[in-house]
Amino acid sequence: MNPAHLHLLLNHSPIIGTIVALGLFVMALMRDQDELKQASLALFVLIALVAVPAFMSGYAAQDAIKDLPDVSMAMIQTHQGTALLALLLMEVTGAAALAGLWRFGRTARKEDKPWMSSPARMNLYAVLLLAMATVGLMAVTGTTGGDIRHPEIMSGPATSSIIGTLGERIIPAFQYVVVDYSMWVWPILEDLHFLGLILLLGSILALNLRILGFLKQLPVAPLQRFIPWGIAGFILNIITGFLFFMGMPGFYIVNVVFQVKMLTIMIAGTNLLLFYCTSAFQTLEVVGPGEDAPRFAKFIAVSAIVLWIAVIVLGRYIPYGEVT
Amino acid sequence: MAVPIIFKTIEESGLSTWIRDSPSIFAYWFILSLHAIGMGLLVGASVVIDLRILGVAKDLPLAPMKGLYNVIWLGFWIQLASGTLLLIAYPTKALTNPDFYLKLTLIGLAVAFMQMLKNRVFNDSSLAESAMMLKGRALATWSLVFWTGAVTAGRLLAYTYNYLKYDYRG
Repeated sequence: MNPAHLHLLLNHSPIIGTIVALGLFVMALMRDQDELKQASLALFVLIALVAVPAFMSGYAAQDAIKDLPDVSMAMIQTHQGTALLALLLMEVTGAAALAGLWRFGRTARKEDKPWMSSPARMNLYAVLLLAMATVGLMAVTGTTGGDIRHPEIMSGPATSSIIGTLGERIIPAFQYVVVDYSMWVWPILEDLHFLGLILLLGSILALNLRILGFLKQLPVAPLQRFIPWGIAGFILNIITGFLFFMGMPGFYIVNVVFQVKMLTIMIAGTNLLLFYCTSAFQTLEVVGPGEDAPRFAKFIAVSAIVLWIAVIVLGRYIPYGEVT
Repeated sequence: MAVPIIFKTIEESGLSTWIRDSPSIFAYWFILSLHAIGMGLLVGASVVIDLRILGVAKDLPLAPMKGLYNVIWLGFWIQLASGTLLLIAYPTKALTNPDFYLKLTLIGLAVAFMQMLKNRVFNDSSLAESAMMLKGRALATWSLVFWTGAVTAGRLLAYTYNYLKYDYRG
């Protein structure tokens, strides 16, 4: 399987997934079911993760078909641009969903329903609005993508839409800012990427070393307060990393080390979001000073440390994996 | 400014050549990876302590966080070892770049401030938690500033060097 296959495999999931998650979420809000709300928020976060390789692998799909006779480069560019807009909105939706999940994780234990205080409700409605807008952009992305290889489904000549025109311009604009605007943009992004790494690894280590029994005099529950700092670092690194990719997509997409790094981030990121940001963490909140954490938590702690260190190592080996 | 001939001697040594030019996955990129992990341990653990002193996770008892100094020192020794190997690989590149001396200075300051924090705040058992936070506030803030500077100076080494090797201007 090559990255072009991956595009065909993944490209429907952000579209269908957002629609399904939105349906579930609306149902959960109407019935006021908290489990279903959490599940649909988690689904939004997972789709936001899957959307990243779905977008990136598009560059490989482009390489695979761009020289075929009846393929139009203009159509590909329109599709890429709308896909980028859909991706960005999907990531914002995912971040808002994550913030909502975090509130559930922190407050779901209390007897009354403090998460339905107004800021939390605002958070859920923000997810709802963002998700509806994302579904719209995803639909345009799917249609423009389908047109590339299935001209038979087009009704009449291609019409230019506002989103299409905007989409066409946005990708070269990214590339210009990251690579050509100034020689200092890339080093500054690298610096921020390292500072993000420190925040992420620092908070992951503090919590997980305690779970494993080092720093045993610390209670586990308040250590979770460092996780938002780790997530801030993670988001900083997703943004800066995405800008690296937009600057040199051809370099990254065929690089096997980069591909494995992305896969590892997906696994480590899912672990981070589901275990530390949902009510799953509540089993650990009772572990006080000097007490042992449950065995499964230790297993997750080891895997988190190993996975994030693997991500760092893979990142450093990306130049080694350059395809020449 | 003349570049000292000793840099050339180091660059021609077997170890230097191996780190720099070997296609083995355990050569240059492996050492660079260790340097990134060591940074994560050293600076990551320092930042967690600093944030706690500055008021993040107030419910967390402060005194037992002293245990994180083990992580800091583990990271420090990894950095010293891997950094020395990287210096052996590219002595001219590092030592002819003013940014390299800036980086070392900032690391020295950051480590010194973390040690002061340990001696004055964590090792003074007469202090109550609020007093520890008050006394450590300035030290923790400066340590964050120096670490950010050290990481930035280190990251910029890849973009600011004058010579890559002894007879090779970058």
